Amino acid sequence: MAQQEFIIDRYNPDTDESYQESFNVDVQPGQTVLDSLNAIKWEQDGTLSFRMSCRHAICGSCAMKVNGQSMLTCQTQVDAAAERGDPIRVGPQGNQNVIKDLVVDVTKFLDQFERAETWLEPYEDQDPPEREYRQKVEEFDHWSHASTCIHCGACYSDCTVAGVDENFLGPAALAKAYRFVMDSRDSKRDERLKFLSEEQGGIWDCTRCYMCVQACPKDVLPMDAIMELRTLAIEAGHTNNHGVRHHKGFTSGVRKRGRLDEMMLPIQSVGIGRLITGNLSAHKEMMDYTPGAIRLLKTRKLLTIAQRHGANAEGREQIERIFDEVEAEKHHHDVDADAFGAEFETAIGGH
Amino acid sequence: MLQHDVLIVGSGLAGMRAALEVSNDPTLDVAILSKVHPLRSHSGAAQGGIAASLGNSAEDSWDLHMFDTVKGGDYLVDQDAAEVLTREGPENIFELEHMGCAFSRDDEGRVAQRRFGGHTAPRACYAADRTGHAVLTVLFEQLLRRGVKVYSEWYALDLVVKDNVCQGLVAYDILSGQIEAISAKAVMFGTGGYGRAFRVTTNAFASTGDGVVMAYRAGIPLEDMEFVQFHPTGLQGSGILLSEAARGEGAHIVNSDGFRFMENYAPGRMELAPRDIVARAEQSEIEAGRGVTSLRDSVFMDLRPIGEERIRYALPSVLHLARDFAGIDPLDAPVPIQPTAHYSMGGIPCDINGQVRIKDLDGAPEITGFFAAGEASCVSVHGANRLGTNSLLEAVVMGRRAGRGILDVVHDLEPTSIDEGDMANAIGEVDRFLTADGSQKVGEIRAELRDTMMDKCGVFRDDAELRECLGEVKEYQERFENVAIDDHGSTFNTDLLDAIELGHMLEYSEVITVGAIARQESRGGHARRDFPDRDDENWHRHTLAYRPQDGDDGPRLEYCEVNMEPKFREPFPLQERTY
Repeated sequence: MAQQEFIIDRYNPDTDESYQESFNVDVQPGQTVLDSLNAIKWEQDGTLSFRMSCRHAICGSCAMKVNGQSMLTCQTQVDAAAERGDPIRVGPQGNQNVIKDLVVDVTKFLDQFERAETWLEPYEDQDPPEREYRQKVEEFDHWSHASTCIHCGACYSDCTVAGVDENFLGPAALAKAYRFVMDSRDSKRDERLKFLSEEQGGIWDCTRCYMCVQACPKDVLPMDAIMELRTLAIEAGHTNNHGVRHHKGFTSGVRKRGRLDEMMLPIQSVGIGRLITGNLSAHKEMMDYTPGAIRLLKTRKLLTIAQRHGANAEGREQIERIFDEVEAEKHHHDVDADAFGAEFETAIGGH
Repeated sequence: MLQHDVLIVGSGLAGMRAALEVSNDPTLDVAILSKVHPLRSHSGAAQGGIAASLGNSAEDSWDLHMFDTVKGGDYLVDQDAAEVLTREGPENIFELEHMGCAFSRDDEGRVAQRRFGGHTAPRACYAADRTGHAVLTVLFEQLLRRGVKVYSEWYALDLVVKDNVCQGLVAYDILSGQIEAISAKAVMFGTGGYGRAFRVTTNAFASTGDGVVMAYRAGIPLEDMEFVQFHPTGLQGSGILLSEAARGEGAHIVNSDGFRFMENYAPGRMELAPRDIVARAEQSEIEAGRGVTSLRDSVFMDLRPIGEERIRYALPSVLHLARDFAGIDPLDAPVPIQPTAHYSMGGIPCDINGQVRIKDLDGAPEITGFFAAGEASCVSVHGANRLGTNSLLEAVVMGRRAGRGILDVVHDLEPTSIDEGDMANAIGEVDRFLTADGSQKVGEIRAELRDTMMDKCGVFRDDAELRECLGEVKEYQERFENVAIDDHGSTFNTDLLDAIELGHMLEYSEVITVGAIARQESRGGHARRDFPDRDDENWHRHTLAYRPQDGDDGPRLEYCEVNMEPKFREPFPLQERTY
C-alpha cells in the first residue's frame, strides 16, 4: 500500500472562505480518485463535500477538475493521475459558481438544454405509427454517439467560450441539439438549424479549441457535432447571420491577401449590406467592436493598413492552390453528404 | 407549507414515467422530488435492455413472456401483475420510441432485440449497452418539454400518514438545509432499491432504500424483503455491473479449469439461465476451490467468443468498464467476475394500479393517496427472482399505471395538511445528528454492516449465519445511537445525509434478515443451505414485515397469498423450476 497526497480546493460557504487542504491517503492498486475522496470523507474529514452516485461513469455526478482538467473522478485511477509522485490536485468544475468544496451550481449548465429545447418534437400533422418508427442502422449510427451524453458538465467546465460568454449554449447542449437535428423522428430540424445559427451563443460562437472533446468521458465528440451543425445549417440556407458572414469574411481575406484582414473582418461579419442600409442594430454591433479594436491596436495585435502587406506573389499562388485542393476535397465530401441527405429524405418520407 | 396535487418522490424511470402521465391532466399540479438530479438516478445504470414481446427478431407473445416471468420468479410472482406487465410491454416500448428513445435498430430499421437470461425469445430491446440511460434521458427530456416542477437535490425525510390517509412529505432542501412540509393529495414513491447494505453491489451510493424505510416507519408493512438478487457478473472486488447482455451476445463463464460449468447446473440454458441460478453456480464453484485470480473469489467471463467487432458495437460500456475499472481488456483476456447484490425484489406492497395496499388484512385496505412503483414497490411482478430486462419494463409500465391510478382518484381526494407535530420526527432526526457528540463513525458502522450482510445474508444462507447476522445488525443499531458526524453546516451537508441513510440501511437490513430466518425454504434469490428445496405447501406466500411496536422484539411477520388470477388467461400452475 502506498501513500498519495491530495491537495483539494475547499470552500466554506458559511465563512465564505476558500483555501487548499492537503490529505494523505493509503492507496491500493486500482483505486480511483473518487475512492480516495471517499476515504478522506469517511476516515479523515466528514465535512468535505462532493457529488457522486453510481461510481461507474454513467450517472454523471462526479466530474471535477483533477490536476486542472475536468474528468469523472470515479473513472480516474490514482496511478494515472499521479505523476512522478506529485500530489494530485482536485478542484471543482470551472465556469460555474462553487456552492461548497467540490460542489458547483449546475443550474446554468443544465438550463442550456432547456434553452436549446433538446427534446423530440414529434410531427403534429400525423399520428405516430402503430409500432415503432423505422430508422436505418446507418442513420442511428450516425448520431447515436451524441446520445451517450451523461450531462456530467466536464465539457462545459473546460469550455474556453463558456468562460467568457454567459450566453454560449455550450458543447453538451449543442451536441444534444445535433442529435435531434439528425433524428428523423423530429419535426423541427429546420427550426433548430435556424435557431442554432442565429441565437446569441449558438453554433458560430465555438472557437474550435477542442477542449470539450478532450474532457468528454463518453463518445459525444461535441465539437465535431457543432462543426457538422454548421455545415448542415449552411446547406439548409441559414447563411444570413453573423457566424456565416464572419466565416466568409475570414476565408475571403485569407484568399485575397494571404492573411487575416482584421480591419475588414468585423465589417464583413456584421454585414456590409446591413451597414449600408442603415440597420441600427448592425451599427450597434460595430460599436461593440470598438473597445476591443482599440485594445488590439494598442497592443499591436491589430495592424493598421500601412502595416498590412500580406503574402508575396509566390505565397499567394500557393494559397490559391491550397484553396483549390480544399474545394476539390469538399466537393468529394459533398457528394457523400448528398447521398446521406437522400437517405435521410427517404427515411423521413415515411412519416 | 408547500403544496401540490401530486408529489412524486424519486426521479428514475418509475417516477418520471408516472409524472409524465399525471401531467396529461393540465388541471393538476404535479411535482417530482429527488435527492439527486433526475439525470443522476440509478435507472440510468441499467445496461442490457428492456423486455417486451415485440417479436422483431423471432416469434414471441405476451403470454410466453408472462410464463418466463412467473417461472423466473420461482412462482412467487403475482400473476395478475405479471400479466399486466407483459401485455402492456410492447405499447410502452413503442411509446418510448415515439418520444425519441435512442434504441438500437435491426436491419429492417425496427427496434433491435436480443437474448437475455430466462427469456425463451430474444425480447430485450436495447440501446447498445446503455439502455437505462437512453430511457432515463428521454423521459427527462419529455418532462422538461412539459415544464414539470422538479425539486432537485431535496431529500425526503418522512412520509406523513394519518388514519391510513397519506398527507404528504417532510423534506430537506440539501442546498439550503431547510426542512419543509409538502402536502399533496397523492404521493407516489419511485425511490428505488436497497442493495447498498451489501459489500459487493452494483448499486449506486444513492440506493439506500430510503422510500422503503419511510413507508415502514409510517406503519406500512414491507413485502418479501428477504429476496435480494445477486447478479452473476459483477466485476471482482467493486461489484460494478457488467451487463448480462454480454452473455446474451455469447460470452462464456468458466472456472479455474477453463470449464463452462453451467453445463452442470443448467445444461438447457447454460450461461443464459436466470441470474439466481448462475450466481449460485458461481458461488458453488468458488467455494469448491475452482475460483480464479490469486484470491480465488471469482470466476472468469470470457467475451472473446463474441468477436471484436460485435463487442465494440453492442457492448461498448462493458468494454470500457472492464478496461477502466479492472485494468483488463476483454478483447485479449477473460474478466474476473463475482456475484454482486443487484436488485431488490421486495418493497412497498401495492396493487397493479400502484395503489399501496396492506395485502394481509381482509379487504386489503389501501393507504389512501399513497402509490408506489418500480424497484421500491413490490407488486409483485418479479416474485422471488427478477429476470434481466424486466426491471426497466416494470418501472415504465407500472410507473404509467400508477400515474393513471392517481388520475383516477386524485380529483376525489380531500386536500391534506401537515402540521408542526407531523414534522417533529424529521426535525428531531436532523437535529440529533447535527448536535450529536457520540464516539461512533458512520463510515465504520456502514462498512461493518455491509460485510455482515454480504457474508451472512448473501447468495447462500443458513439459520446459524442468519442469526449471527441479525445479532450483528442489532449491535450496529445500538452503536448507531451513539454516532456523531463532522459537518454541522447547513449547506450541502452530505455528511448528515450519509448518517440518515445509514439509519435506513440498518432498519431494512434487520427486516431482510428476519424474513430470511423465517422463510425455511429455498426459492429464487433466497437460497437456504439448511432448506435446499422449495416448499410450496408452507411457503408459497408473500412475507409482510411490520415495524415493531412497543414491546416487540423485532419486526412482526405476517403472510399473504400469491395472486393466481390473471384476467385474460388461465394461471400458470406451480411447477418444478428447471432449466
